Amino acid sequence: MIAKLKARLPKPTLWLAWLAFLGLFLFTGVTAGVLVLWKGLSVTNLTDYVPWGLWITIDLSSIALAAGAFSLCAAVYLIGLKRYQPIARTATFVGLIGYSMAMLCLFIDIGRPFKFYQALIYWNTHSLLWEVTMCVILYFTVLLLESMPIIANWEWLRNRFPKLTAKMSHVHHYAPYLAIAGLFLSSLHQSSLGATYGVLKARPFWYKPEMSVLFMLSAIIGGISMTLFASMLASRLTSKAKINDALIERVSHFIGWALVGYFYWRFWDTLSMTYTYEPGRTEGLHLITTGPLAFNFWIGEVLLGIVVPMILLLNRKTRLNPFWRMAALLMVVGGVVAFRWDINLSGALVLVSYLPGQPTVSYASYTPSLVEWAAGLGVIAYGLLAFSLGVRYLRVVDHRLTDEEHETVKVTATEPVTV
Amino acid sequence: MTDNKLHRRDFLKIAAVGVATVAGARAMSRAEASSGGEKGPHQWAMVIDQAKCNGCGYCTLACRAHNDVSPDISWNVILPAGEVGGHQVFLPRPCMHCEHAPCVEVCMVGASYYRPDGIVMMDYDKCIGCRYCEVACPYQARSFNWEAFEDTNPAVPEWGQPEVDRRPRGVPEKCSFCYQRIDRGMSMGLKPGVDPDATPACVVVCPTGARIFGDLNDPESEFSKIIHSQYTVRLRDELGTAPRVYYVPAEAEDFEEATS
Repeated sequence: MIAKLKARLPKPTLWLAWLAFLGLFLFTGVTAGVLVLWKGLSVTNLTDYVPWGLWITIDLSSIALAAGAFSLCAAVYLIGLKRYQPIARTATFVGLIGYSMAMLCLFIDIGRPFKFYQALIYWNTHSLLWEVTMCVILYFTVLLLESMPIIANWEWLRNRFPKLTAKMSHVHHYAPYLAIAGLFLSSLHQSSLGATYGVLKARPFWYKPEMSVLFMLSAIIGGISMTLFASMLASRLTSKAKINDALIERVSHFIGWALVGYFYWRFWDTLSMTYTYEPGRTEGLHLITTGPLAFNFWIGEVLLGIVVPMILLLNRKTRLNPFWRMAALLMVVGGVVAFRWDINLSGALVLVSYLPGQPTVSYASYTPSLVEWAAGLGVIAYGLLAFSLGVRYLRVVDHRLTDEEHETVKVTATEPVTV
Repeated sequence: MTDNKLHRRDFLKIAAVGVATVAGARAMSRAEASSGGEKGPHQWAMVIDQAKCNGCGYCTLACRAHNDVSPDISWNVILPAGEVGGHQVFLPRPCMHCEHAPCVEVCMVGASYYRPDGIVMMDYDKCIGCRYCEVACPYQARSFNWEAFEDTNPAVPEWGQPEVDRRPRGVPEKCSFCYQRIDRGMSMGLKPGVDPDATPACVVVCPTGARIFGDLNDPESEFSKIIHSQYTVRLRDELGTAPRVYYVPAEAEDFEEATS
């Protein structure tokens, strides 16, 4: 009897172990999510002083790490770097996952999840979050369209609905137009997410214009790195993923130089803007340079997030070595997440008093609760699962694939002039 | 064929210009709205005399009763604000009802808005609970409903009867200058700031008369007389939020008179 059952069970493989591992996190994540919907946000460690915490970091990070989609699609379809098209394809799928993760995370993070649709009905065009909401929803639609040809790769769907998949593949003909829309929408909201913090007078450490620039730059760097890392990792783990190492190596070289620019901006923004004492702002700086966020900032963001990968990716020897290249790309991804975490907390933890006279500054504190971790890790597990399924069934990482040529302007020769 | 193409391009151009114009006009009208909105004949405001405030906290309790606020939340907090002339001084802090309120500007659904009489109001039905307003407020005047307030209100009936609905779980709430008292009182021909039934509960209950409520536009109101004759301050005025709550700071002489 037992032997029969055993025979029926699928053989334990690495793939199944991976699914089980993700399933565990998904299960606890869903449980935590249900708890949040049932009990409300009182199960979190968020307070009136720090109302945005771990979930906002996950949400901001997944949007940032999804930015490879718009930047690579713009490079391929608008700048004309067509040889990178296979990577852009992977990036589009990573983008789709990233944005769905962000929306999932926001759903539990808002106070009235089941009223989320009101964000679409009631408009305050003056609000940055209104703009971000609109862009995220529109861009998610663009990503869905851009992913149509990828989803059409699903064998079951191909066999079952051949006409539908043919139509879905045809969407690729509009790739340049979608790339324009994607570039437009992404440039708007990736930078506006920084401006969301940057316009708040009440929080001196956030109140600065360069927040937009930093968010945009870090998103492009982190987003492309995420796509490259995921592709390389997938190709090492499964035969379903095929990469073109030369392409990845060239993009990695670009990341190395982009890190130089990002390093300059972050340094300039963070360390030179607080030359003289300003209440709240200087304390925010202290939080990340010597306070509770110091390790995260110096090690996570600066050393591992920028300096080390910059050297590894600019140095030809290490860049050509797949291990060091992967390590560097993963560090960049980690650095961008650390940046989002530091930005959110360094501003939120500093409280400037409103008593008349000399402004005094006090500190709030925040550590995510178990439920926040469980739900947050659940969202991440969902993202990993979606990518794994994509690699296995949609050939998301197959850099030998080139979609058929998209529509170009057809020039018909004028009729020969007859005299 | 080429004709057709040209037409299409022209059409797109016209459409783009049209959309941009409409969007721009809409954004501009919104920008106007967020810097004060249409102003009515009355502009309600409050002045708090710190020399008179003894920190008893009656205002907080009356507020909780009349607005049915949970004991975990204070729309109106009393903060110790140092010593002047050997006397402990307090700073009561309701919502500032800013003329340029950061909370109204950032709210994505427009749940925070300006009433024509200057009151910064919350439409709790529109709110989705993103807490951007809470992060944006320089005065920490907003409190989030992390849980639903379902118990009996300990401030009722001793400090008054609830006059408004309780807020649901998942929205931030704040002082509304007791708009319900102002609206009902005015409909009965009463004058806010003069008649207790048309005046915010905290002003009515204050045993020392430290709070004066009135119309910024009425030069004859007691409020206007005070702000035109005495030195007043507004909190974090440097931010440009233009609060409608003014403070008369306590001076050492105030306490000398009281003791002599």
